[in-house]
Formats: sequence, C-alpha cells, structure tokens
Amino acid sequence: MRDETGWIEEIRALGGDFFLLKTRAPEISQTACPGQFVMIQVSPTVVPLLRRPLGILRVKPPLLWLFFQVVGQGSAVLAGRRPGDALQILGPLGKGFPDFRDKNVLLMAGGRGIVPLFFAAEKLRECNRVFLAYGGRQVSVLHMLDEIAELKLQNVFLYTEDGSCGKRGLVSDETESLIAENSIDTLCACGPDAMLRTLASRLRPLPIAAYFSFEALMACGFGICHSCSLKGADGKYLKMCSDGPVFRLEDVAWPI
Amino acid sequence: MADLSADLGFIRLKNPVMTASGTFGYGEEFLPFFDLDRLGALVLKGIFKNRREGNEPPRIWETPAGLLNSIGLPGPGAAELQEIIRRLSKLTRAPIIVNVCGESDEEFAEVADIFDAMAEVAFLELNISCPNVQRGGRCPAQDEMHSFRLVKKVKALARKPLMVKLSPNVRDIAAIARSVEEAGADAISLVNTFLGMAVDLEKRRPVFANVMAGLSGPAIKPLALRLVWQAAQAVSIPVVGGGGIWTGRDALEFILAGAAAVQVGTLNLVEPAGALRVISEMEAEMKRLGVASVSGLRGKLFA
Repeated sequence: MRDETGWIEEIRALGGDFFLLKTRAPEISQTACPGQFVMIQVSPTVVPLLRRPLGILRVKPPLLWLFFQVVGQGSAVLAGRRPGDALQILGPLGKGFPDFRDKNVLLMAGGRGIVPLFFAAEKLRECNRVFLAYGGRQVSVLHMLDEIAELKLQNVFLYTEDGSCGKRGLVSDETESLIAENSIDTLCACGPDAMLRTLASRLRPLPIAAYFSFEALMACGFGICHSCSLKGADGKYLKMCSDGPVFRLEDVAWPI
Repeated sequence: MADLSADLGFIRLKNPVMTASGTFGYGEEFLPFFDLDRLGALVLKGIFKNRREGNEPPRIWETPAGLLNSIGLPGPGAAELQEIIRRLSKLTRAPIIVNVCGESDEEFAEVADIFDAMAEVAFLELNISCPNVQRGGRCPAQDEMHSFRLVKKVKALARKPLMVKLSPNVRDIAAIARSVEEAGADAISLVNTFLGMAVDLEKRRPVFANVMAGLSGPAIKPLALRLVWQAAQAVSIPVVGGGGIWTGRDALEFILAGAAAVQVGTLNLVEPAGALRVISEMEAEMKRLGVASVSGLRGKLFA
C-alpha cells in the first residue's frame, strides 16, 4: 500500500457517463490483485475534499486501468482531468477475491460491477474454468464487451432489462440454472445493492462458495475513519475498505 | 535550522505537530507511509472501557472543503488498546497520547486510570467534547460545572499530565477553558468538531440517524482559529490548537494565535503522510519568515 504520484495516460468517454481512465502507477500496478481498489485524489484543491474509491479494472505494470461513472461532484471533476496530469493514487487497498485454482467460477456483474470482475476474469482464467454473467439496464451500459470476448472465457451470458443486448431480464434471473448447468462451485458478484440482495437470497440454499464485492462512501480507504461500515453476520460492523470490499456471503448481515 | 520543538511545560515535543484523535487510528495503520518518530506526538483514536460498534451508517457526508461525521467512536475497548499500545511503543519513540472517553464520569475515570498506569503512554487527552456519543449532540464540555467536576475527578487519580479536549459548540470558550484550568488540567486542546447537519432532499430526511454530526476540515479553520485565540487569552496552561490544518502556514497561524502545539486531523484521512508535509512546510515557512523557533512565534500576534 502506498500513496503514489501517478500520471493520466488516457481518459476516454465510453458513453452513458462512463469513463475509462488509463494511468501510469508503477508501484501500485505491480502489486494490485482482483477486487482491490484505489483512492484517487480527483483534485489537488480541497474541493472536493475526499478522495474517491475506484475499483481496479486491469493492470499491466506500469499501467493501471480504472473505470468510473459520473455520479456526483467528485467523479465529474475527475472526468475533466487530462492526459499528462499528475494523479495522486493510494493503493492497492482492501482484500480482494481469493486466488482460486481448479474451480468452476461464475462471475456475476451488474452495471459498473464489471470493474473488479473483469480483472478477476483475466487472472482467474489461467487456473480455473471461468463463466461471466453481465447485465445492465440497456446495451449502452454494458462496457468492455470486445475486451471480454478477447479473454476467451468458458462462456459469457449477457442480460439487459430492455432486451437490447443478450437476454431480456436481470443478470441474476438464471442464477440457479447457470450454476447447475455449468457445475459452478464458486461465485463472485459485484453490482448494485438490489442485485446483491436478490442474489444473496437465491444463493443461500445452494452449496457454493460465494464472494460479494461491495461499494461504499469512504473517507480514507485504509481503515482509519470507520465510515464505510457494513453490518456483519455476528452483528459487529465490518469495514468495507480494509476488511473487504470482498466478503463471503455468510459473513454479511442480510439484507444489506 | 529552525527550532521546531514545542514546549508544553510537562513535556517537550520535537515538533509541534500531533495527530488529532480519531483521524490516525492507533498509529500502526500509518507505518506503510512514514516513520512515526517524525511526529511531535501521536494521539490515538478515542477509547471507552468496552468495545463499541459506533453509529448506524451513513456516517459521513462531504461538504465544501469539509467533512461531516457521525461515526460514534467505535473501538475495541481498553484492554485491547493496551495490547496495541504495547506493540506500538516498540515501533516508535514518538510520545503516545491516549484519548480517554466515557459515557459517564465514572467511566472516564476508570479508563483514565487504566492508561495512567501504562509506562508506554506519555500523557492523557480527556475527550469531553465528542458530539456523537450523547443524543442531541450534547457533551460535558458544553457545561462549565460538569467540565470542572469531571476534570477534577480524573486529576485526582491520574499521575500523568492531563490535556482536556474542548468543544467549539459553546457560548463562551474562555469560561470553559478557565474552569478546566481551575480543575487542574495541564493543557487544553481544541477544537473538536462543529455541530452540523445534512439533509437528503430526495428522501426529505436528515442524512444521519443522529440528525446532527460533527464538521471538520479546512471549512472550519477560521472558526477554530478564533476559538484557539480566545482560549489562549483566557488561560495560562498550554493550548494545543487545530481545526482544518492543511498546510504548514495553517499550523503557524495557530501558533501565532497562541497555540503551543497543533493537531492535524482530517488531513490524515485524505493524505496519509499529510502530517509530515505540514511539518516540513512549517520549517520552510519559518526559514522564509526568518523565525528561529516555534516557541518564539507562539502568541506573538500583533493585535
């Protein structure tokens, strides 16, 4: 973990408020694992004051790819930064997905939840059979489709709520059959809270290992401020930034 | 080279920069970023006797140049903190200050007693000013009589020096500072956070379950500077000032206003090695201004 002065190499608008941010961060890109994140200082001034947590999409040292959606003031400022700008990056942060071997893994991504799962897919496919289910409201919010195809995963299942790409419906609609038909023993999920809630209730009776990656408001990102609390199954608060952001299904108090 | 040392009477710090309680964890978390020995002192996150979970989320809200928090002092409890301090003391020679909390006067005394007995602890900071523990943002530091009683009680049992952290949410800071001094405090520190509030327009609800929350960060610096100046005028014990310190210049302004040392808080969350930057900027600014020592600048405001 370090606070590295990186550089913006490229910042690309992908449509639908989504941006791909290619940075040079030699140290962080060297050690980052799937499911980990970074805290980005979006502006060198004190407005906005806090850094923003961004999931790591891909690494190829010294390069680090991030992906974000403009949802408020901080991400809007970040979207206005230019190639060549210095960027203060704190990371890699948190506990990511475990390093599986010889598993049949289903990755389930809703919307920008694709970020940690793309990185996981790239890494896990070396020693596992990896399947990806990826859904969103409409085709314009499904990103990285060419890059996903290049990963040559076992299979990719796409869903949109309006039917504009893949099957019509929610990414979690076919959870049970995807698991059964592909002998899935391990599931990794990231997406909106509503998707994770639905998925959690459908997975609970099934004998598979499930890992969920969460998103939260954070001030520090490294365990100091206790602002990103998530109620654990034992009633104690977990810190999403340093205990997570990836948790086992049974470690969290549902519904979130 | 400028003399950065800061004299609190009962202790001399190598430089005036302390970390503010609640923004520096228990110190260990910052080891990846810098050598803790370079700090003037470390103030650890506030501690109660027993483990606490803290408030219902959401717990933070960003404001222009500020941060509202309603964390509610989660922590592992006194016994586990003792273990952490034993470990920490082997990792740094910087003075370790324990921020003592309590839901009752008895608990304050009990917790103070536990850490008073630890050789690894340099001195105690009595946190009578957290706005997120009692309902309605109330705290002992808002009442002169209560502050006096509580400080007197803790002073009666503690052998270590006692610094008392004051609240900015008071009518007359000078009166509170004087009552705490009279009760035997060895130093005061201020400010804790300012009571604030955030509203969720869509849901038509307050953002925080406790409605009120504490504001920190650069947004509060002018307010904090005024309170530190007033408190320093009112007492003769050392004043440790802070509130939104972001640069070496900010820190020197608090020294000029009468602070013997400073606390850097919210900055630690946003820039892990920010306290170090403040120290080196202070040194550079002093050189530029031709100021030989921090103590020579303390309270030397032409006003």
